[in-house]
Amino acid sequence: MKRKMMALALGLTMVLGIAACGGGSSAPASSSAAETKAAAETEAAGESAEGGNTVVVAMGSGFSTLDPGYVYEKYPPMIVNACYETLFKFYSNDGAAEPNLVDTYEFSEDGLTLTMTLKDGIVFASGNPMTSADVAFSINRCKNLQGNPSFIASTIESIETPDDKTVIFHMNQVDSAILSKLTYSSMSVLDSEVVKAQGGTDAEDAATADTAQDYLNTTSAGSGMYVMTSYIPDQEIVLEKNANYWGQATNVDKFIVKIQPDSNTQMMTLSQGDIDVAMNMTDDTMAELAGNENITLVNAPTKTVGFLMMNMDEAIGGPVSNPLVQQAIRKAMDYTGVQTICGEGAVTPYSIIQVGFMGAKGERAADYQNLDEAKDLLKQAGYENGFDVDLVVTDLDMEGIALTDLAQKVKDDLAQIGINCNIVSSAWAAGYGDDYRDGKLGFTVMYWGTDYNDPNVQLEFLPGGVVGLRAGWTADMDPELAGLFQAAMEATDDADRTAVLEEIQDKTYENGPFLMIAQAPAHIGYNNRLDGVAVSDPYALDLTLINVK
Amino acid sequence: MGRAIRKMFKSNYLLTAGVIICLFWIIMAILAPAVAPYDPVAQDLGIRLQAPSGAHLFGTDNFGRDIFSRVIYGGRYSLLAGLLTVVIAGAIGTFYGAIAGYVGGQVDNVMMRFSEMILSFPSLILAMIINAVMGSNLFNTMFALIIVAWPTYARLMRSVVLSVRENEYVTASEGLGASRMRILVREIIPNSISSVLIMATTDIGNQILMFSTLSFLGLGSAPPTPEWGMMVSDGVDYFNKFWVAGFPGLAIFTMAVGANFIGDGLRDLLDPRLRKQF
Repeated sequence: MKRKMMALALGLTMVLGIAACGGGSSAPASSSAAETKAAAETEAAGESAEGGNTVVVAMGSGFSTLDPGYVYEKYPPMIVNACYETLFKFYSNDGAAEPNLVDTYEFSEDGLTLTMTLKDGIVFASGNPMTSADVAFSINRCKNLQGNPSFIASTIESIETPDDKTVIFHMNQVDSAILSKLTYSSMSVLDSEVVKAQGGTDAEDAATADTAQDYLNTTSAGSGMYVMTSYIPDQEIVLEKNANYWGQATNVDKFIVKIQPDSNTQMMTLSQGDIDVAMNMTDDTMAELAGNENITLVNAPTKTVGFLMMNMDEAIGGPVSNPLVQQAIRKAMDYTGVQTICGEGAVTPYSIIQVGFMGAKGERAADYQNLDEAKDLLKQAGYENGFDVDLVVTDLDMEGIALTDLAQKVKDDLAQIGINCNIVSSAWAAGYGDDYRDGKLGFTVMYWGTDYNDPNVQLEFLPGGVVGLRAGWTADMDPELAGLFQAAMEATDDADRTAVLEEIQDKTYENGPFLMIAQAPAHIGYNNRLDGVAVSDPYALDLTLINVK
Repeated sequence: MGRAIRKMFKSNYLLTAGVIICLFWIIMAILAPAVAPYDPVAQDLGIRLQAPSGAHLFGTDNFGRDIFSRVIYGGRYSLLAGLLTVVIAGAIGTFYGAIAGYVGGQVDNVMMRFSEMILSFPSLILAMIINAVMGSNLFNTMFALIIVAWPTYARLMRSVVLSVRENEYVTASEGLGASRMRILVREIIPNSISSVLIMATTDIGNQILMFSTLSFLGLGSAPPTPEWGMMVSDGVDYFNKFWVAGFPGLAIFTMAVGANFIGDGLRDLLDPRLRKQF
């Protein structure tokens, strides 16, 4: 029976393939008809019964929770950012965190105290005014829930609220990323009165005592531009304008966020005008919309980055632990080709800090590849005739790009200088995951997604850092870089931070076990009637910046 | 002899068609270096995802590799996996089943319970577990498929042997003092093998599909090996480019159909109840 099912499935694949063939030729002819229809429907959608603007957004996957205290997935911040506000915020996708709810802020001399005053006139959707007690409640709740995002508040020792407007953070260590961390959705300020009434608590035993999650999964209790009025898991979420919003609102009255996992569906519904924003386009589906003048396509790099890891421990890495070989590999890679594989909008960062982060030095030079130099380096290392090496790869994908695809590209590039990679696939659950974390892999292609939007997360790639140790790179192997790690953690001033981060990038440009090969791109398609649609790493899409033209 | 074979093919279109299809793919696989116009793993990103054309009969894939060449070379892996799995699993199953059926009693009981134990696992899951534990490459995947496949042969063989061993010629051999081993090898197995043979030919198609399914799940041979199942799996990401998954899919489909035709044809030929139709 099972075999018959498989035969059927494969047969079906073929039939569909043939059907797609027939459809391919007729697509250009029908697209102009679709455009006029899309235009008509767009107007209809724009003027709903109440005369307000409704915008429909499609995104690829659902999520497990919308309680800010627990959110830790890719898409919830899109909703949380619309319904709640944080003390600081990223207004653009590259740059530093800027004050949002905060009016003024100041670090103490030793960097261990952060004093902030809240803006005047902030009210929650319920009408309650926001006070410093709400801030303390929200952050303590997140910390004490001990959920996935609780570590973000781990450097905050205690929160003092001398009056309604003042919040003082006492830190247990200098944390140069604290402002970025405060932009994270889990640090959203909740309406403590409402949440407490629903069983919420910020006490030490919140992990077991707090019962507000069910409520917050379907209703919002924040001060954001929108309030969540309906949530059907894995189907749609409706956000309506917060009538009590204290700030300057946009002209979109209602967002309907639909969950549509398939990018072909998103492409079709976008071209027909049923949705206004498609979050999960692919190179393939974008090509179908290329001629459609009602639709704009955005390709931009995300901060999810694919990298090569060459273990520094000779017992594990073998030839790739040799710095000369590592440099030869850097010189041999065809970065432009890797970007092509990853899709429109992919970039290769200069070194370990991705393009878009504060202090990032941009991209690795496009003409960096030099096969002659690479061969010379191999010769110096004593591998004139190249060598064979296992390139371990796991069954994961980086924003839809299979790691095995990256591995095949690496194999092809390194073959040109005589390094013969045998691709060994190893399932994440059946060993790869443990081997990777325990630093037992010699040579691998892996990817890294950022926990929060701050360059400090990249410091883990330095000697002695979490990822550094996975490559057998201990702090004593490069004391200078290890020292810069510490300096970067302690610099609180933006200019100082940038200076340290730039030095780190220069020192890892041609040194160390890691080679960042490409940042995965995000592909968003949107209807031209909208303004302000942009790729956003922290929020996936910042709904509060979107206007209808 | 030649005339008999000609007559056999003439009277049995299914068998003829099956043999032609399978021979076609086998010859293609053997002559791959001569037939394939390009290196199956050579990448050329400048021409990626091109539709079928004169230069690239089946188009190019994600890495700009020639799909026609990959399909031709792919036969080497998919056919090898299909044929070898069936031969080895068939051989193990035949002997296992014959011994169990011929010896009988407690030995039969224990041997059959063991094979049923393996059969009781969902086969795909079992193959995936073996693959995950041993690492996935061509031979481990074949090993997993063999583990999953042999009990079916053993059960079939045993049931046939149970009736064959009651024949007079077996009793006669016993009476003449032949050893059990000799009776098993010279009398029992040759007289029971036809049903296993028929099942084996039908199974070749199944094993190719099974291997392709495992490759599809990322458990087959390691990339960039041009294996049919893996090529279909790669093509799923490019749904609007039908040729990426379509042509390797077509190869799997025709090979499976061809092997099934041979199985059906052989059954018609060897089954005495159906034989008189010809």
